[in-house]
Amino acid sequence: MCDYQKCKHWGGNQDYTSTRNKRKTHLCCDMAEVEDTLKRIQGYNGVIGSIVVNAEGIPIRTTLDNSTTVQYVGLLHQLTMKARSTIRDIDPQNDLTFLRIRSKKHEIMVAPDKEFLMIVIQSPTE
Amino acid sequence: MSNTTVKQKRPALKVAKSSKTLNVSSGVFRVNKSISKTINHSFSGKSFSSEGDSRVLDKSSAQTPKHTVQVFDEHGQDVAPRPLYNPDPGVLQPKQGKIFPAQDTSSWTTMTDFPSVAFQTTNASNTGPFTRSFFGSISASRTSQTLESVTDETKDLLVKQDLSNSLSDVQARREEVQEQVREDVLDSVVDCYLTETETIWLLDIPTVSVSEDSEDAEAVKERNNAYTELCKNRLGNDKYVERSMQTFNGAPKTKEVQCDSITMVDKAVMSTIWDMYDSFCNKSDVSGNTVVSDQGNKADVPDSSSMSKLDLNPKGPEQSKSMVSISSTVSGSSAQLEKMACVLLVEEEPDHELILQSDKFKQDLAVMERVILANIFQPKLAAYRQLPVIEDPDCVRMAMGSKNSPSPFLEHLWAFECGLTMGRNVSSMTWNKKNPDLLAVGYGQLDFKDQKSGLVCCWSLKNPTWPDRIFHCESGVTALDFSACNANQLAVGMYDGTIAIYNVQAAEQTPIIDSSDCSKMHTCPVWQLRWIDHESGLAGEDKGEILISVSADGRICKWVHYKCLECVDLMTLKTPDLATNHMKWNRTISALSPGLCFDFHSNDSNIYLAGTEDGYIHKCSYSYKEEYLETYIAHKGPVYKVTWSPFCPDVFLSCSSDWTIQLWRQDLQRPVLCFTSGQKAVFDIMWSPHCATVFGSVSEGKVEIWDLRISSLDPTIVSVTCPGVNPTGLLFTSETDCVLVGDSEGKVTVYKLRNLTDGGSTQVETLEDVIQSTLSSQH
Repeated sequence: MCDYQKCKHWGGNQDYTSTRNKRKTHLCCDMAEVEDTLKRIQGYNGVIGSIVVNAEGIPIRTTLDNSTTVQYVGLLHQLTMKARSTIRDIDPQNDLTFLRIRSKKHEIMVAPDKEFLMIVIQSPTE
Repeated sequence: MSNTTVKQKRPALKVAKSSKTLNVSSGVFRVNKSISKTINHSFSGKSFSSEGDSRVLDKSSAQTPKHTVQVFDEHGQDVAPRPLYNPDPGVLQPKQGKIFPAQDTSSWTTMTDFPSVAFQTTNASNTGPFTRSFFGSISASRTSQTLESVTDETKDLLVKQDLSNSLSDVQARREEVQEQVREDVLDSVVDCYLTETETIWLLDIPTVSVSEDSEDAEAVKERNNAYTELCKNRLGNDKYVERSMQTFNGAPKTKEVQCDSITMVDKAVMSTIWDMYDSFCNKSDVSGNTVVSDQGNKADVPDSSSMSKLDLNPKGPEQSKSMVSISSTVSGSSAQLEKMACVLLVEEEPDHELILQSDKFKQDLAVMERVILANIFQPKLAAYRQLPVIEDPDCVRMAMGSKNSPSPFLEHLWAFECGLTMGRNVSSMTWNKKNPDLLAVGYGQLDFKDQKSGLVCCWSLKNPTWPDRIFHCESGVTALDFSACNANQLAVGMYDGTIAIYNVQAAEQTPIIDSSDCSKMHTCPVWQLRWIDHESGLAGEDKGEILISVSADGRICKWVHYKCLECVDLMTLKTPDLATNHMKWNRTISALSPGLCFDFHSNDSNIYLAGTEDGYIHKCSYSYKEEYLETYIAHKGPVYKVTWSPFCPDVFLSCSSDWTIQLWRQDLQRPVLCFTSGQKAVFDIMWSPHCATVFGSVSEGKVEIWDLRISSLDPTIVSVTCPGVNPTGLLFTSETDCVLVGDSEGKVTVYKLRNLTDGGSTQVETLEDVIQSTLSSQH
């Protein structure tokens, strides 16, 4: 049985995902879960936009227009590189896991990784 | 200087030749610069002395104006050839006059010998009558005094003629110049320095005198004699012949070589500490990483970070193999090469979908979600955790009219709700024993009608909008409890009597164990579950944690988890026969009254209270299942909840659907205090874990907080819920002063208790005093 809460697949020949943590979901449900979470994140109060790009800077998921996305990605990628370099220069066994930039108008949250970059821009709630 | 114009008498044919010669002569006449000009362009570098000469000439006649020669042909046109090379008048002639260090014009004669010698040598190598003649003429000009020494050089008669013509002029000029110079420098003292050069050495062997008396005097004398004899014999002796040698100067020849242009490329490398660390680690890590990535079902691109990843995923023998092979080189086994090839292929094209499905992405998503929610809920959470709530300086807040009333009230913080839980009735709530931020909420209808499938949600305080864990159950959930020993085990009791134990760490939908297989499972809804820890177990008794349940089928059961859940009856709730004075248990028809609640004593886990649908509260013993220890009769309706006071060991509280809450002391048959505040059934009560005199109650449409210090007749705080929504559950938080209220619409609202008088201590004495005073007033 698929562990996804909203699984609507019954019977048939559904493939299961990896059994890490003994949690089994159908492949399609796995994607659906991820999409659910992304949609939820976008719907939260104050979230202006969310961007997921791969390592080359190609947007995988984005809720902003293309030029803004490209701008954010280009700039934040460099900043993330610099931040990671800083952390690892101090201690090479350490690594950057999350980056938050608080500005007057927004807060930009960046989750960096080797293969992707996740960016969410949120403005403070009123 | 006078301009000499030589008229051309010859026919035009001979213009060229004569012009040449004329040039020569004119070249001669051009004492200073002109000579130097022609010299320069014709004999660049061939003879240093010439240039030196020219320079000397320059020096000597610095003030002389430029000497021009005009050549006219038969028609009278000026056909004087222009010089091929016009040196810059301001530029000094190159200093080649190392040979002539001294500028002494008085040494003209000495100098002239040298150049004549030099010219002779150069003449031997030079070809062409023109040059030779020119040289000859030059030397002639030089050696104005020693004209006769140059006669054999000059072969051109014409030149000679001209020379003779010109020489006189030159001579005159020279003498003029010379006289000029002599007068100037006559008085000056000129220092001559004779120095050794690389080719010229001064030989200096000082004479050594030896006295006649010395020992080697004889030898010296002999030598001296031998030397004088040698000198005498020297002339005409074959041994001593003067000879001269000439070294051949090879003709220099310029040769050009061309090569491809050397392209220069700039290459820069930035080396940082982490870069070096990475390269060092990756060298030994390559073989290990290939194995790790291969084992995942999906193409998890290997994390280049470290060996620690291997440690995190122990996967049996394959793992150990990889550890061994790490020490060997990458090209060790063919299997490894294949694996590497696999990884490379996959690494090249990580799909977008694969990225989205990767574990790291999901993890980051979860973290991101929590961060966003932390931003949104920050003031609420701060209030919850009793931290000072700091205003966001960048956020423009509407000036909210905050309730600053001095009286106690419930401040609404937030509500746990989501689309999944909407419309469901909250039946039970419990905190996790280990993680105080984790809340398990059970959703299920309490009534018989409209039963639907149940739901258990594990909410985290960090995410009030979506539960961390969702478990779907077949029937409505009626009871929940977290285990204290294994904090990840959650026991769920359902409306159909099933008890399931879930593992909340893994998000699996299937429980660890289910009581459906058990033969003695409950047949009616399980109304309460509790994990009880028996530290002091009697002989034969089970030690450790045991799950106790009470169900509507009148049994209190103990569940033990061996291979499957096994059930042992602790007590059967028989209705006591009140008709007779002593309890008779041997009735033919013994109806079991449904048990609704129970509570074990906090200090003595052998004693517990059980509330039934009849309205009786029975005090029972764990080890004795036949009889009750005591029965408390006061309620007229089903007893929904019974709880011991966490502070006073003898006091317990009970609530029932007869609109009353009763406070008991376990040694008294009659309740000490009775609380009523409305005409609605009281569904749930709970003592406050902070203050002994405070407890909360939930009835239809109202949430009430009672404080016995203030009043025992009226609740201190009354909070009315929205119409149509009934609160069904109450839960205090053990660490903060907040209270959670679950309602029939699926919302769990978090309230903060405000302005409740904080006595500081637990007010146990106050409670005791209240009880005492009440008791004393009753009698």
